Amino acid sequence: MKLSDIMSYAQLSFYTEVALVLFLGVFIAITIRTFMPSRSRELDAASRLPLEDDVVLTPRVAER
Amino acid sequence: MTPATSAATAGAVPRASGVALDRFSYDDAIVRKFLFATFIWGVVGMTVGLLIALQLASPIFNLGLEWTSFGRLRPLHTNAVIFAFAGNAFFTGAYYSTQRLLKARMFSDALSNFHFWGWQAIIVSAALTLPFGFTQAKEYAELEWPIDIAIAVVWVAFAVNFFGTLVKRRERHIYVALWFYIASIVTVAILHIFNNLSVPADFLKSYSIYAGVQDAFMQWWYGHNAVAFFLTTPFLGLMYYFMPKAAEGPVFSYKLSILHFWSLVFMYIWAGPHHLHYTALPEWASTVGMLFSVMLWAPSWGGMINGLLTLRGAWHKVAQDPILKFFVVGVTAYGMSTFEGPMLSIKSVNALAHYTDWIIAHVHTGALGWNGFMTFGMIYWLLPRLFQAPVYSKKAMELHFWISSVGIVLYVVAIYSAGVTQGLMWRAFDETGRLAYPDFVETVLKLMPMYWMRVAGGTMYIAGMVIFGWNIFKTWANRPAKYDVPVIEAAPLTKKYVEEHPVVPANGLWARFNQVQWHRAWERAPMLFTVLTTLAVIVASLFEILPTFLIKSNVPTIASVKPYTPLELAGRDLYIAEGCFNCHSQMIRPFRYETERFGEYSKPGESVYEHPFLWGSRRIGPDLAREGGKYPDLWHVRHFENPRAVTAKSIMPAYAHFLTKSIDFERIQSRVDAMAMVGVPYGDAVNKAPGMAREQAKQIAAAIVEQGGPAGLEDKEIVAMVAYMQRLGRDIKVTSTASKVTNTNSAATANGGTN
Repeated sequence: MKLSDIMSYAQLSFYTEVALVLFLGVFIAITIRTFMPSRSRELDAASRLPLEDDVVLTPRVAER
Repeated sequence: MTPATSAATAGAVPRASGVALDRFSYDDAIVRKFLFATFIWGVVGMTVGLLIALQLASPIFNLGLEWTSFGRLRPLHTNAVIFAFAGNAFFTGAYYSTQRLLKARMFSDALSNFHFWGWQAIIVSAALTLPFGFTQAKEYAELEWPIDIAIAVVWVAFAVNFFGTLVKRRERHIYVALWFYIASIVTVAILHIFNNLSVPADFLKSYSIYAGVQDAFMQWWYGHNAVAFFLTTPFLGLMYYFMPKAAEGPVFSYKLSILHFWSLVFMYIWAGPHHLHYTALPEWASTVGMLFSVMLWAPSWGGMINGLLTLRGAWHKVAQDPILKFFVVGVTAYGMSTFEGPMLSIKSVNALAHYTDWIIAHVHTGALGWNGFMTFGMIYWLLPRLFQAPVYSKKAMELHFWISSVGIVLYVVAIYSAGVTQGLMWRAFDETGRLAYPDFVETVLKLMPMYWMRVAGGTMYIAGMVIFGWNIFKTWANRPAKYDVPVIEAAPLTKKYVEEHPVVPANGLWARFNQVQWHRAWERAPMLFTVLTTLAVIVASLFEILPTFLIKSNVPTIASVKPYTPLELAGRDLYIAEGCFNCHSQMIRPFRYETERFGEYSKPGESVYEHPFLWGSRRIGPDLAREGGKYPDLWHVRHFENPRAVTAKSIMPAYAHFLTKSIDFERIQSRVDAMAMVGVPYGDAVNKAPGMAREQAKQIAAAIVEQGGPAGLEDKEIVAMVAYMQRLGRDIKVTSTASKVTNTNSAATANGGTN
C-alpha cells in the first residue's frame, strides 16, 4: 500500500478549510493587537528607528 | 546622512545612559561592491532583454547561431534581471540598512564577502550554462542542479550572516523593514529547495522528481512566490527604510506596515495556482489561488498608500528631488501591478490574458517600474553616503528619470495592446462559426508594430541605465583618497529586557491576555519570530500542495498514457535544451476556440510521466499538445531546418543544427535510468535504451527518405526531435486499443505505435 492510498482513504481534503480558519484567526489577533491604544507609543518610537540610526562618536580615517 | 551631518548629531542622547557603550563601525565596503554588481548585471540583463525583444520583431536577430536563439536567451534575460540585478540591489540595500537598524556591524565580514563573490559566481555560471542549453525547463528555476546546490550554500551563508547580526544587535525593537528581509530570506530558501528537487542524469542534466500536475503546481507555487519573496517583500523592506530616509520623516503608519507584512506573508503563499487557470490543474486549487490573489489587493494597496503618504508634508520636495521622483513612480508602479495581478487572477480575465503578452506587460510594470525605480532611487540616495562625494550630476538624474519613465510607458502600452490583440484574435469566430484567424501566424504578425515599439521603449530604458552608470562612475571618481569610517557608539542590549514604556498589569485573565505582553516578548526574540514566520509559510504551503500529491482523485490516470520511448525522450531533452517551452505551450484549455484550433483539451492524466511538466506559460508560437501526427515527418525536417521555408512569415529561429549534430545514443541510457528512478515505468528500456533508440531512429530516417527527404539522418538530432513531435498528444487517441492493465512494460510497446 502506497502513501497516496492511505492519504486518499483518510479524506483529508477538508484540512484546507481548517488551515484557512486557523490563519484567519491568527491574522485577526495580530490586527487587534497592532491597533491597541496601549501600543501606540512603542510603535511610534519604532517607526523613527530609520531616522536615528547614525549616532556617531568620532569620524576616523581608515579603510579604502 | 553624510559624514558632515552625522558628525553634527554626535552629541545626540545615548538611548541608555549610565551603561558602558560599545564602539564599532559599519561595513560599507560590502555595500559598495553590491552596488557595482547591481549596475553591471542590470546593464547585461537588460541588454539581453533588448536582444530578445528584437528577435521577436525580426528572426534575423537570432543571429543564426544555436547559442543565441530566443529560447536559450530568454531564461538568461529573466535570471539576469531577477537574480542578478534585483538580487544585488536587495543585497545592497539590506547590507546598508540592516547594520544601521540593528546598530551592529555584520556578523562576519568573511561571510559577507563569501556571499558577494559566491552570488556573482552563480550569475556567471548561469551565463555560461543557459546559452548552451543546460536548463531544468522551470521558469526562474532553469539553472541545473550543481548551480542549485551552490545557490543554496550561498543563501545559507547570507542567512547565517544576517541572523548572526540580529542576535548581536544593539537595538531592541526589530524594525519592520527587517521583518520583510527575514520573511524573504527564509521563504526563498524553502521555495528554492523544494522546487529544485531532482534526480541528476549526468553532470548538467536532471529530471524533476515531480511529474505533470504536481510539477506544475510546485513550479507555480515557486514561481509566484519568487515574485513575492524575491521581487516584492525585499523591496518593500527597502521602501520602509529608504523612503523615510529620503523624505526625512517616519513612515506614514507603522501599524499599517505591520498589517501589510502579516497579510502578505499569510496570503502570498496561496496565490500560485492562478498561473494555471483552465489547465489540467484541479479546479479547487485554482479557485483557492484566485481568491487569495484577489484578497492580496487590499494589503498591497495598503502598502502602496503607506509608502506614498510617507511623503506627507514633503510633496514640495518631490518636484526638486529626483530621488523622491524615482520612489514615487516606483511605489505607484507597485500599486499598478498589484492591482492588475489580482485582476489577472480572476478566471474570466485570465482566460483572455493567459499565454499572451498581457502577462509580459504586467511583469514589466513591476520590474521596470517597481524594482527598477526603487533601485535607482535607493542607489542615488546611497551614492553620496557610500562614496563620500556629492552625486556628480543632478541634471543627469533628472534625465535618467524622464527617459526611463517614457521608456516604461512605451514598453507597457505596446505590450498591453499586443496581449489583448492576440488574446481577442485567438478567440474570434466568424459568422459561420469557424475561427476568424485559423492561421496562428496571423495572430503573431499583427503584433509586429507593437514589438518594434517595445524595442524603442526598452532602448530608452537602457539609455537611462547608461546615464545612471556614467553618474555612478563620476561620483565614484570624486571619492576621497581614503573613506571616512565613522565610529558609532551604542549600548549593548541588556540581558534582561527593561520595558521602555512599562504597562501596568491589568486585572483579570482576559484583560491581561489583551495586553499581549506575550507577543511583545516574541517580537524581541528574533529567532522565535523567524521560526514562527517560517512555520506560517510551511504550513500554508503544505495545506495547499499536499492534497494534489496525496489524494488520488485529483489526478485521474489514463491507462493508454505510456512513457516516452528512449528516442522520444532524447528528443524531449532537445526540446528542453532549446527552450522551446518559452514560446510553445503544451496545454490546451477546455474552450471551444482552443479545441477548434489545437484539438482535444489536455487532461491531467496525460502528463503523469512529464518530468518536468512542459505546459508553458506563453504562446509566441502555437500550442503543441496535439502536434503528433498533424504533419508528415518531412514537414518537421524542413520546418526545423528553416521555418520560413514552410511558413513564410514565421518568427521561429532556425534549427538547422539538428540536421548536422549527431545523437549521443549511449548517453540516452543514463537519461532513461534517471527517469526510471523518479518513477517512470520504463521496463526493459532500463537495460537497452541505446539499441531501442537506434532502431526507432532508423525507422524515422527511412520514413523521411520515403517522403522525398534527405538520406543519412538516422544518427542526427533531427530524428529524435521528429520522434518527440510525432508522439505529442497521441496517447489518448489510442484509448480503444489500450488494455485496462496499468502497464509497466510500456516503453517497448509504445515504440512501435508512435510514428
